Amino acid sequence: MGLFESLKRFFVLPDRDADVLKANCFKTDYLVIDLELTGLNAKQDEIVSIAWVPISHQRIQIGNCQHFINNQVSNLNQSPVFHGIDSDSLAQGVPLNEALKALNELLDDKILIFHNQELDWSFLRLAFNKAGLLHKPLAILDTMQIEHKRLARQGQVIAQDSLTLNNCRERYRLPEYSCHNALTDAMATAELFLAQANQISRGKPLLVKHLM
Amino acid sequence: MALELNEVGRFIKAQAPFNDLDSSATEYFIKSLEAVYLTPENQNQWLNSSAPCLFLIRSGLYDILDSSGEVVARLSEGDYFGYPSLLTGEPISNRLEVQNEGIVYLLSQMHWDYLREHYKAFAQYFVRAHANRLLSVNYKKRSDDWSSKRICEIMKQGAVTADPDTKICDAAKTMSQFGVSSLMITENSKLVGVITDRDLRNRVLAEGRSPNDIVATIMTTSPKHVFEHNRVFSAFHLMLKQNIHHLPVLDEQHHPIGMITATDLLRQQKSDPVQLIGRIYKAESVADIKRYALEVPELLRGFSDRVEDTSLIGKLLSGITDAMTTRLIQLFQEQNGKAPTPFSWICFGSQAREEQTLHSDQDNGLLMPDNLTQSQLEYFKALGEFVCDNLIACGIKECPGGIMASRDSCRMGLSGWLNQFSSWIKSPSPQAILNCKIFFDIRFVEGSESLFDSFSKGILTTTKNQIFFASMATDINANSVPIGLFNQFKLEKNQQKHTYLDLKKRGVAIINDIVRLYALHHNINAANTLERLSALAKKQDVNKSDIYDLKDCWRYLTQLRLNVQLQQKGLPANCIDPEDLTSLERHQLKEAFYLIKQAQQAAAFKFARGSL
Repeated sequence: MGLFESLKRFFVLPDRDADVLKANCFKTDYLVIDLELTGLNAKQDEIVSIAWVPISHQRIQIGNCQHFINNQVSNLNQSPVFHGIDSDSLAQGVPLNEALKALNELLDDKILIFHNQELDWSFLRLAFNKAGLLHKPLAILDTMQIEHKRLARQGQVIAQDSLTLNNCRERYRLPEYSCHNALTDAMATAELFLAQANQISRGKPLLVKHLM
Repeated sequence: MALELNEVGRFIKAQAPFNDLDSSATEYFIKSLEAVYLTPENQNQWLNSSAPCLFLIRSGLYDILDSSGEVVARLSEGDYFGYPSLLTGEPISNRLEVQNEGIVYLLSQMHWDYLREHYKAFAQYFVRAHANRLLSVNYKKRSDDWSSKRICEIMKQGAVTADPDTKICDAAKTMSQFGVSSLMITENSKLVGVITDRDLRNRVLAEGRSPNDIVATIMTTSPKHVFEHNRVFSAFHLMLKQNIHHLPVLDEQHHPIGMITATDLLRQQKSDPVQLIGRIYKAESVADIKRYALEVPELLRGFSDRVEDTSLIGKLLSGITDAMTTRLIQLFQEQNGKAPTPFSWICFGSQAREEQTLHSDQDNGLLMPDNLTQSQLEYFKALGEFVCDNLIACGIKECPGGIMASRDSCRMGLSGWLNQFSSWIKSPSPQAILNCKIFFDIRFVEGSESLFDSFSKGILTTTKNQIFFASMATDINANSVPIGLFNQFKLEKNQQKHTYLDLKKRGVAIINDIVRLYALHHNINAANTLERLSALAKKQDVNKSDIYDLKDCWRYLTQLRLNVQLQQKGLPANCIDPEDLTSLERHQLKEAFYLIKQAQQAAAFKFARGSL
């Protein structure tokens, strides 16, 4: 994408924003993204791996999932405990920029979905900036916030760990996934999103803005 | 892309047919999949004839219904659907009903066609699955549950009768006037005999007997009969076993009310369970019987969905075992000559109670006259071994306690058996009580009925012993129902750390024990628990509502147990995980256990004077 395109998108956004928010959430294209990180601080910690899963018209496109490991991580610290990626696996990865470029190509007409966007998107936004890929997405949805809103509306007490990806999935009786990496978690988030949207809508129309 | 690391890949690879398919096929399949969240509201989006797909269930629970709304199959994790219309190109005719929504994988027609063309094993797998589905659907269509109907529902009302001193020629006139092929002979409105068309041919014309003789000279005396409330199935079974075509039907006062014929039964749709019994009775060889035995589990599966009264399933399985036993005894005599003396083949335990399940093992014995010669004993030993060994080959397992006519201890003369029983009754040790539980449910299967009658009369006189009843009642209370404090289920554990409830040991068996105790006390001859309960309900000093409660409990637990057997998932036989039940079912189950507990305590109070 050339600079002109990026700039155009940057300035034209407000209009498209409005369109996107009024769209039927079942007929929209999404990209569900998950990152594995070396820590929780976007300014000093790094992205270890990144995976995304496209959803189009409620169908998760398994064949178009992507999973990249960043071979330029400078310090893994203790993080392999969480994501299981050690320095050997890192070596088989690609430079983060390649992954970002591939991702950037896909972002055009898609709404992004994260489970806990605050964390993942802050890393991703910074990485895009560093790579010189100017980017503001169409819209971002967060399955954690959707769940929070839903539980709050039902008047439930929201315990500290009740919003983890696994605990959210359990509430929808989605299958238990044993291995955890960015790809599995992105897939798990995508399934959670479909379950949430369907259960909130229960056959009635549901707009994207209702999920914000 | 690292699909190997992905949960989707892991799931698909463990899934038939991919577990033994080229990895290239598996990879193609995985890459072509789409995942959707299937709900009642959005299902039409995925299931439409213009874009047929193969569906593979990852989670959730779905029923497939045919066009008439009948459930064809219940599908869950790992099951496929949608392949029939992909294979045939015909529009989708079945409907889906979502029980629990969940994730389903979709494969579009284009990718399906590619896999089918390039991988033979893939195509074969679904062709076979399709054939199986068709078979099971057709099976259900072919048969309905007529054999579980009552006889009074299918028979023509109105008994055509005559007195015993009617002239044969007058009887024949009556028969042609009413257009019937048989006549019931009654005295004081009680049935005393039957004559049929065949009797007129064989016993009158062929023998040159005078038509002016009275019918009493040619009738079949004390004929086999059924009661109006018996099942059609019982009537058919009796006809097949006795090779007769006419059965008088009596009401509860033993007054004849009609005749049921083989033609009446054939007019009803043919039912496979009954046909199977018929084929067993006519089997030419042991090999035939074994082949028919293989059909039993599938038959039961098809049958059990349709019968409301689950006690019929136990009867059906016991009926099949009876038929195999009888035919094996006949085949043995064809090969080794007729038995040298009268004998009775008897069965005990679940076969006697007509509560057999697919897991039941053999419990049988041979009753012979006293003082047999060595060679006569040899003959019966060979008979016992022949029958028991072949029953094992037919899938009726060897009795772990050795209660089989092939063992010397279960092949005895009349006085030998009676001594055995009285020794248990007089010194009720724990082992003796255990034996009583099995041996006091006795039923005659084949051979001499009169020998068996003298045996059962002998037993009833020996049981009149208070200490014996008290020990039985104490033993019943030693087995507790699995309900703990605060209304919680008390679960058991096995080596695999499954937690479960044993429906047989902790439920059905306790009811059987209680009912047996009351039945013995009231001299009731039946062995079937429901029949015993019905007979008990007629007794003066028995609380009727307790009986009805126990009947309901028994039926409920039996149904639950049967469902479990047909959908085994790694638990021990007869066991369920309460987690798999709906909350209503859990509630009912607790209720049932409470009623059993009350009945236990009542039995202890009555027979053991509460001295526990």
